[in-house]
Amino acid sequence: MRSQLWGLYVREVLRTFRNPFVVLVTLVQPFMWLAFFGSSFVNLASASGKFGEGTYFAFLLPGTLSTSMLSVGMFGSMSTIQDKRFGFMKRILITPTSKETIFLSKAFGSATRGLVQIPVMVAAAYVFGVSFPLSPLDWAAWVLALLLLAIGFSSLFLAITAPSTDWQTPGVVSNFITMPLMFASAALFPSSSFPSWMQAISNVNPITFSAALGRSFLLGTSVDWFNLLYLSVFAVLMVVIGYIVSARWLKVE
Amino acid sequence: MNPPAIVVNDLSKRYGNAHGVLALDRVSLSIPGGTVFGLMGPNGAGKTTLIKVLTGISDITSGSASVAGFDVRKESLKVRARIGWVAAEVILEDDFSTWENLWLQARLQDLKDWEGRAEHLLRYFGLLDRKDDKVSHYSTGMRKKLEIALALLHQPTVIFMDEPTIGLDVATRRMLWDIVTGIHKEFGVTVLLTTHYIEEADALCDRIAIIDRGRIVAEGSPSELKARVRSDMVQLETSENLDAATLAQIPGVTEVRAQGNDWIIQVGASEEFLPQLFARVHPNQIRRISVEKPSLETVFLQLTGHRIAEEEPMQDIRKFYAQMRRARA
Repeated sequence: MRSQLWGLYVREVLRTFRNPFVVLVTLVQPFMWLAFFGSSFVNLASASGKFGEGTYFAFLLPGTLSTSMLSVGMFGSMSTIQDKRFGFMKRILITPTSKETIFLSKAFGSATRGLVQIPVMVAAAYVFGVSFPLSPLDWAAWVLALLLLAIGFSSLFLAITAPSTDWQTPGVVSNFITMPLMFASAALFPSSSFPSWMQAISNVNPITFSAALGRSFLLGTSVDWFNLLYLSVFAVLMVVIGYIVSARWLKVE
Repeated sequence: MNPPAIVVNDLSKRYGNAHGVLALDRVSLSIPGGTVFGLMGPNGAGKTTLIKVLTGISDITSGSASVAGFDVRKESLKVRARIGWVAAEVILEDDFSTWENLWLQARLQDLKDWEGRAEHLLRYFGLLDRKDDKVSHYSTGMRKKLEIALALLHQPTVIFMDEPTIGLDVATRRMLWDIVTGIHKEFGVTVLLTTHYIEEADALCDRIAIIDRGRIVAEGSPSELKARVRSDMVQLETSENLDAATLAQIPGVTEVRAQGNDWIIQVGASEEFLPQLFARVHPNQIRRISVEKPSLETVFLQLTGHRIAEEEPMQDIRKFYAQMRRARA
């Protein structure tokens, strides 16, 4: 299984980063998030006094990084449907490669795509005046948290789209999932200002936990390691679900 | 004769529920190792479904099958380690070079020392000096060669070729015929090839099974199958209605079928029939006449009551989709 997993994982990564358009969007999108979203709210956020110490950009960065990990899931499921439509899935499955291995390679491939955005977004935030008082251990923990989030969401997307062969499915599923998860979290705004029903969602939303961990490193507040534990449980649970669903329902064509 | 590489026993495949399409209906086959075996029939006959079932892509509804000595249902991974597959449309990783495609295939097959074999295959197919080129820059013929090289990389026992020449021009099709004959001799693999091209089955296959509507209707070597048809087929188009009895009374005529002014007449020997025909029917009444000697086409026609070519429009649709996919890629 390791041989097949490595082969398919490398394929996912190379296919993504050999596409110049994908590389361009990966590099530009983080700047756009901070430039458009961050700049439009920075004055309002400062006036509200609800964003703790530092600039709104320092508050926003861990949130936008977390929501980026949410969106990478869509690419894994798009890649899966492309493989089904062009017959590559059949080519893979006529070798001794299991459906579960295909699932894992897609999930890890998508997560890698998400991780590449981290240095780009950090550089963008630096341009917007964010400072980074993090130790190497803090960096490692933050990246690990984002990796777990990316694996979890990629697995979730792949599990939902496994039985589908329709091009439109990943986009529709992404729209359906992304918006509520992004806004019902503490990624962009503190959840204390939410109505109670949104707070209830935010309190279990993995994005909230990832954003909270990142902020604690960036804003120098005390670190709650439960956030990392929660994200680990989320990632493992989603991988197990995706693994089982793929083995049973991953369509070949 | 070599021990069988593929054995199929009373195998049925139904898509969907109990009322779904019965794509294979109690198919039984025994394909000797080291042969090129053709599965010939029109589109929708069940050829591709049989390949899907034998490669483990589709489930079996009832019956059993083994490939390379392993049960398709119970030992799927062992089967898949011993088979290669060449699709109707070329399926490669276009963003990869030739060598990277081989690397990926080696990974998928869990091969350790594959580089020497890969170089040998590339040399055999004349692609070695292009091994670092992206395959998206390849011609259709080169892509087909690479696809066959991928199928051979892990030294399979059986190669499945599902309509490998569909949508190809005549020159590329001939090249592929040479390759199929060549790899069979060079690498000693059993080839199961599906086709609806009569001449392809005749030229390449040691043995042929004719499949129609999910059933095997005949099996044998091309010469054995042709020997079943001891008569010639005369096709006639007349300018006005003829009396069928006029034709049926000609000595040696065994069957007369008419559709308007088009006639299909089965005769013992066309050489003896034609002078008799011209004696009874004035040449001005005959618009067109053609004689078909015993061929796989006439075998198919006699066994099924229809021609493989009647399904040609479907082939055009498949060709169209194949071209669209290539264009999109």
